[in-house]
Amino acid sequence: MLVVTTLSDQSVICTLGTSTEVMDGPMRVLVTGGSGLVGRAIERVVKEGEGREGEEWIFLSSKEANLVSAEETRAVFQKHRPTHVIHLAAMVGGLYRNMRQNLDFWRDNVHINDNVLHMSQEFGVVKVVSCLSTCVFPDKTTYPIDETMMHNGAPHVSNYGYAYAKRMIDVHNRACFQQYGLRYTAIIPTNIFGPHDNFNIEDGHVMPGLVHKTYLAKKEGKPLEVWGSGRALRQFIFSVDLARLFVWALREYNEVEPIIASVGEEEEQSVKDAVDAVVEGFGFKGEVISFPFGVNYPFHPQTLTNRSQYDTSRSDGQIKKTASNAKLRKYLPDFKFTPFKEAVKETCDWLAANYDIARK
Amino acid sequence: MKICPASEVTFLDKDFDNSDAREQMDGPVGAMRVLVTGGSGLVGRAIERVVKEEEEGGREGEEWIFLSSKDANLMSAEETRSVFQKHRPTHVIHLAAMVGGLFRNMRQNLDFWRNNIFINDNVLQTAHEFGVVKVVSCLSTCIFPDKTTYPIDETMIHTGPPHESNFGYAYAKRMIDVHNRRVSLFQIHNGPPHESNFGYAYAKRMIDVHNRACFQQYGRRYTAVIPTNVFGPHDNFNIEDGHVLPGLIHKTYLAKKEGKPLQVWGSGRPLRQFIYSPDLARLFVWVLREYNEVEPIILSVGEEDELSIKDAVDAVVEALGFKGDVIYDTSKADGQFKKTASNAKLRKYLPDFKFTPFKAAIKETCDWFVANNDIARK
Repeated sequence: MLVVTTLSDQSVICTLGTSTEVMDGPMRVLVTGGSGLVGRAIERVVKEGEGREGEEWIFLSSKEANLVSAEETRAVFQKHRPTHVIHLAAMVGGLYRNMRQNLDFWRDNVHINDNVLHMSQEFGVVKVVSCLSTCVFPDKTTYPIDETMMHNGAPHVSNYGYAYAKRMIDVHNRACFQQYGLRYTAIIPTNIFGPHDNFNIEDGHVMPGLVHKTYLAKKEGKPLEVWGSGRALRQFIFSVDLARLFVWALREYNEVEPIIASVGEEEEQSVKDAVDAVVEGFGFKGEVISFPFGVNYPFHPQTLTNRSQYDTSRSDGQIKKTASNAKLRKYLPDFKFTPFKEAVKETCDWLAANYDIARK
Repeated sequence: MKICPASEVTFLDKDFDNSDAREQMDGPVGAMRVLVTGGSGLVGRAIERVVKEEEEGGREGEEWIFLSSKDANLMSAEETRSVFQKHRPTHVIHLAAMVGGLFRNMRQNLDFWRNNIFINDNVLQTAHEFGVVKVVSCLSTCIFPDKTTYPIDETMIHTGPPHESNFGYAYAKRMIDVHNRRVSLFQIHNGPPHESNFGYAYAKRMIDVHNRACFQQYGRRYTAVIPTNVFGPHDNFNIEDGHVLPGLIHKTYLAKKEGKPLQVWGSGRPLRQFIYSPDLARLFVWVLREYNEVEPIILSVGEEDELSIKDAVDAVVEALGFKGDVIYDTSKADGQFKKTASNAKLRKYLPDFKFTPFKAAIKETCDWFVANNDIARK
């Protein structure tokens, strides 16, 4: 039997079965950042079949506790006494916000991560799976990147505050293993997208930004303005697929070294490909105008019409971050990712249906 | 000029105006009030001595406050804040850290990581909130990438070294970038630090990350120095947990006293550049006053003065007049084999700076240890 208890608008406890034993019983999983893009996807897959009898899944949001505070984090652990933690909570943002606030991204995330990891260790949590990102990898590197390369060079200048804070999760995990034998680990997704994202155009990531802008362009009968040249390359992973992988990692993945969760290298797309998929997802028929980066950039007009304008403030970010999913494929050779266009369509439909409540 | 241990400072009733200090940032310093965290340690005591006793030391109207862990636990944000509220410094020399030698680091990487991250974040963040004009923190060459080419230089905490031929150009470009408030050459890790002390090493590297981010977001010129192996009076001479030179001095002293052989851990082959604490202290004071880059600066003797552990053993044996056997226990770890650092940047700024000759510095340190054996930390 599945019981879902709603504590507040944002926090949800899913109890499967009746057992709530902490130490030797089934899992009690605390999911920090539970109301976010990935958290909501995990909640969905847990409800739809990934959760098991007797387990308890608690989805925490920032409304319930500010994890930047050690005391509030401690209170959360005291209240819920999890056996396992999926740690997704972070201060996150898209390219432009990171570029403005590297210090805040560094400090707040170091605090959140230290609080969660330290409390987990104090409260005897058996396993923590944290969330890293391919955007924290070295900027100057060979491709494809793999799990062994994370610390081999400086991250991209645009988000080094966030990147270092995330890398330090891995440092903490390794040091914690060395000092206490705890197997806390992390997953490294590529670009995630899906329902419940932050669709804020200024501060969000590329996919939700495009989805929101296309929705508005269609609604208002205006052209779609795309920032950057469209040439940047990304591997996109649908949040629901990532959620299944998080649950798998929590149960089955026992290494301390993190694991990349991504579609294969052959699925890498350009931002222009993403634009096309979103345009198709909404059935958008208007003009698409692209704002490529800077005057030093090779002058190839990226417009799909005859007009073009150049906005030097709209950077492309990293031009590529191709990641290898060979390690994942070694563990799960048959894992099926949702086809890209289908996942984009689902996301567009979700925003159209939930526009008022969507974060933006 | 006032120099006080923090416990003896009374609350200052004059209202300190931070805007004066900011305006004086690039000019001669008048009302500088310098808080030295870790003030009772190896480097802190050396700075205190330089400030009190030397011509280029403290200046008229300045106040130097030497903080120790007895005055505040800097791992606590509240206690750090109280310290800043009490003293309202205009400048900070930040030396406080959880430190230890090779073997202690190897056992406790998590503690070294966490405790130092807390201390550093508390000091840097509180300094920023209280309008401190400049913070000079203390890094170490032991935090550099393990797999690297030599000599290491300041750009390599980060990415690859500039080629010999354009070393000067690379620096010029870097200084322009820093001046133009761009951090385009910002790169922190050329690679991971040595396994033995990665917790400590990353925590220290993150000081540099914090400095750069603080510069980028707020324009603050907080910076750091990177000494090589420091030694001198007032060190931690604990044999299990201390560093190589104080460990050797203590062991030789005991071996001589007890008529036993001197047991040296490791092969004696690793190479180090040693810097005497009063020399480092003089350089710290210079950096506080004159060095305006955000990028850190290596403080070290030159590459040509690199010594093996065996050289250090010989110098200590000679200084203490030890006549017994010296045994090298090769079953014990050596740590990093070499960490040769370039002091070219320092030499560019201070071509005539004179370091105390190694043997003289060792003799002075050994004499201090003998004379102060009861009070020495061990």
